Amino acid sequence: MLLERDGLLAGLEHLVDVAGDGAGALAMISGEAGSGKTSLMNELARRIEPRGRVLIGGCDPLTTPRPLSPLMDIAADPDAHFTGHDLVESDPFSLFADVLDDLKGTIRPTLLVIEDMHWADEATLDFLRYIGRRVADTKAVVACTYREDELGTDHPLRTVLGDLATRQSTVRFSVDPLTVEAVGYLASESRHDPADLHRLTGGNAFYVTEILATGEHLPGSVSDAVMARVRRLTPPAQRVVEGVSVAPRDLAVDHALALSGADLSDIDEATLSGVVVARGARLAFRHELARSAVEDSLPMGRRLSLHREMIDLLRADEDLDLARLAHHAGRAGDGSLVVEYAPEAARQASLRGAHREAAEFFELALIEADRVIPSELAQLRLDLAVELGILDRQEQALQQLLLAAEFYRESSDHVMLASLLRRLSSVLWRNLDLVGARRAIDEAIELLQDAGDDEALALAHEESAFNWMLARRHASAREDLARCRDLAERTGADHVLLLHDYMAATVETVLGDAERGVAGLKRVESQFRERGDDRLAASALGMLGSGGGEVRRYDPALDALRTAIEEGLRTDADFMVAYNRSWMARIAFEQGRWEEATRIAELVAEERYGRAAIAPVTALGALGRVRVRRGDPGAQEALEEALRIGEGCEMQHLWSPYCGLAELAWLEGRSGEIPKILDWVWGQALAADSRWARGEVGFWMWKAGAINEPPDAAAEPFALHMNGRWKEAADAWHDIDCPYEEALALAEGDEEAMLEAITIFDGLGARPAARIVRSRLRAMGVAHIPQGPRLETRANPAGLTNRQVEVLGLMAEGLSNGEIADRLYISKKTTEHHVSAVLAKLGASTRAKAIARAESLHMTKDGGDGLRQ
Amino acid sequence: MPRYVVERTFDGGLEVPTDPNGFDTMMGVVGNNAKEQVTWVQSFVSADKTKTYCIYDGPSPEAIRRAAELNSLPVDVISEVRVLDPYFYVGASS
Repeated sequence: MLLERDGLLAGLEHLVDVAGDGAGALAMISGEAGSGKTSLMNELARRIEPRGRVLIGGCDPLTTPRPLSPLMDIAADPDAHFTGHDLVESDPFSLFADVLDDLKGTIRPTLLVIEDMHWADEATLDFLRYIGRRVADTKAVVACTYREDELGTDHPLRTVLGDLATRQSTVRFSVDPLTVEAVGYLASESRHDPADLHRLTGGNAFYVTEILATGEHLPGSVSDAVMARVRRLTPPAQRVVEGVSVAPRDLAVDHALALSGADLSDIDEATLSGVVVARGARLAFRHELARSAVEDSLPMGRRLSLHREMIDLLRADEDLDLARLAHHAGRAGDGSLVVEYAPEAARQASLRGAHREAAEFFELALIEADRVIPSELAQLRLDLAVELGILDRQEQALQQLLLAAEFYRESSDHVMLASLLRRLSSVLWRNLDLVGARRAIDEAIELLQDAGDDEALALAHEESAFNWMLARRHASAREDLARCRDLAERTGADHVLLLHDYMAATVETVLGDAERGVAGLKRVESQFRERGDDRLAASALGMLGSGGGEVRRYDPALDALRTAIEEGLRTDADFMVAYNRSWMARIAFEQGRWEEATRIAELVAEERYGRAAIAPVTALGALGRVRVRRGDPGAQEALEEALRIGEGCEMQHLWSPYCGLAELAWLEGRSGEIPKILDWVWGQALAADSRWARGEVGFWMWKAGAINEPPDAAAEPFALHMNGRWKEAADAWHDIDCPYEEALALAEGDEEAMLEAITIFDGLGARPAARIVRSRLRAMGVAHIPQGPRLETRANPAGLTNRQVEVLGLMAEGLSNGEIADRLYISKKTTEHHVSAVLAKLGASTRAKAIARAESLHMTKDGGDGLRQ
Repeated sequence: MPRYVVERTFDGGLEVPTDPNGFDTMMGVVGNNAKEQVTWVQSFVSADKTKTYCIYDGPSPEAIRRAAELNSLPVDVISEVRVLDPYFYVGASS
């Protein structure tokens, strides 16, 4: 199977079919080495063979190529009706004429492939020019592949391409690198991260498949392929390439010249060979893999000396490039320079939002810990811990903070120690040490009582309010906020006041007036942006997403989550990405978008190891609850795993999975077990101030008959339901798009409402709940209960997906790809994928043929019901 | 990988033509399953062809549902199952 080549294949097949009618073409197919041109030609040949003739020849990378070697190869094929035996003496043009006669006289269409045209000899180029001018009158497609990256500006093939470019019968194709999605598909059964693999390989099909096949970071086959190209260069050009290989990302041309002692023509040789590429005035490898292959091939002494020379060159620059200096200092093993440059490089990276790079530089500096004075070392550990927290490496973050805490405790610098304890509190919390987290922040406040630093004390109270908010304790959170506000106003420090407003809005959202809280968080977010603090702005968005999600203010929550995830992916904020995604899954579950919920939940659950528990707990909770409602296997297991991972979490992260277990018991007729299942979380919910936790946990207690009326301060829709006001409850659920809960409420109503509930449950695929309502209706003696959902599946014969059937229908209406894209609200590229998939599945080379075939299979509107599933 | 039995209902009866189109349909199903890492082992079809009981290997019930969606096949109930056959204990008893 070839990924992302459907469009190319369909196009080329189409050319061959048209050639069969006497309108031949020259197809020039370019792509970088390893992009998969040969695989493409093989697949094309496989598809053409049943209906046409395939002739294949190729050029060789020889210093002195055999003249006309591709034609000689082809002449040896029994299907070819020309011979090359007396070629050496004869005029090559008489051979060309023989080939032309053959391609004109053939009965079946012919695909004539010449591979690797960039290595062609003069005579083969003459043939290309000759046939390119005459191919339109043949029944053949002459398909030539070549490496775009090896075609220097003065390559003779360029001239021929220029001659033929304007002819109508010349068609150009480009075999592009694979997208991240395709790489992800290939890597789906491996442990590689698609984005990493894509970055490493630049989407080069050969590199991707070699890494996947060998499981090695740098497979021997790849380094052999790279080094073979490097060794064809002259020694000065090789030295240029070696210089580029020791630089991270890219190297300034001036530095390349200084390192290699080469001149500009050697640089041209290196770039024209395609080994390195020029980007502005900098040189870079096309692929990270090729770079490491060359760097690894360098003997140690040579490598060290290149790094040292780079340090000298960079230090001579006016604006010091700290990141590069730190990198080369580390590679050159120069500890004192590492200590000089790495910490500052890390701080710069952090400000840019490159948190992975920042952590790497801090870690690099810590290797030289014995060269750093203790107070700086403690600061380094603190800074590193912040980065690790962002990267969701919570255990390592905790270790660094504990090491730093030792220093501050001995130094009796109370303000610094308190500041560290503030951070420690949230990191302990993320590591599920809730008691330790509370103790750390209490200690910080205690330490600051007499320290005379109001700002530090204000910040400590803010952190304390945060901690109470996490535990959903309203009164305590408000007390701390009031203290924080007094102190902040006394110091007049704007940023502390803003932090106060941030936390006050958060507390308001989850524990008070949600509307006001949400508006407050939005305001705070834009104030953070105005101050240029994108990280706090992103935190505020996350708070809006999870807090707003919990209190079911879904629209602003979803908006915030989408933006925060995008931003998090850009800035390596893995913790925020995972947690925000888990809330996307939770909301999608609650709103009945179960397919979306499970997809996102899987994404989070797959990456749960060594990370903060709250994201996978939330995600697995959503996944398990979808299974409960669908009646699918593995529901209990997923929920129990969520609770196992979440052991020690706050109630706020656990009540939903617990409710899932209660609901499962209800659906399976084990309602008597519910009070026992909910025992712990019910007590927690009553002790805390979350209206939605009280509402939902209370609801399942009520369903089990353990309570007769809603608990105090339960969220409105649940309370209405428990008070028997099913109609108002259903309306309330309807208003916030919670169809399953709406149907649960309707199911408590009259016959008509119950039938409506069945329709909703059926639409969701909520089989177990629908079955319960159906059997109650039967017990009531209702005669006409609609049957369960039935797909009209005389499954469409070609195995098209619903979307593809839809696209096919629009194709049949004569819409173009652009018009289909507009109609279906999808991108043009996605539309193209659908169209090629439709062509492929229907075995059709053109739209017209696809539509004709669909009609013969009764798949179009006029032909049958296949389109109206 | 877990094994599942997937029950499906075909109101009009399941028809798979015994010509090249039938083969294409089957291969289409196999190809779509592969996208979700799902393997169709075999199916049992009721005498009136309205119900099928399909044995599948797959990573999760969600993957089974997605593959069904790709193939436009209905899903009634998914159950996780283990294989047991009459000769399971042969050897253990002798």
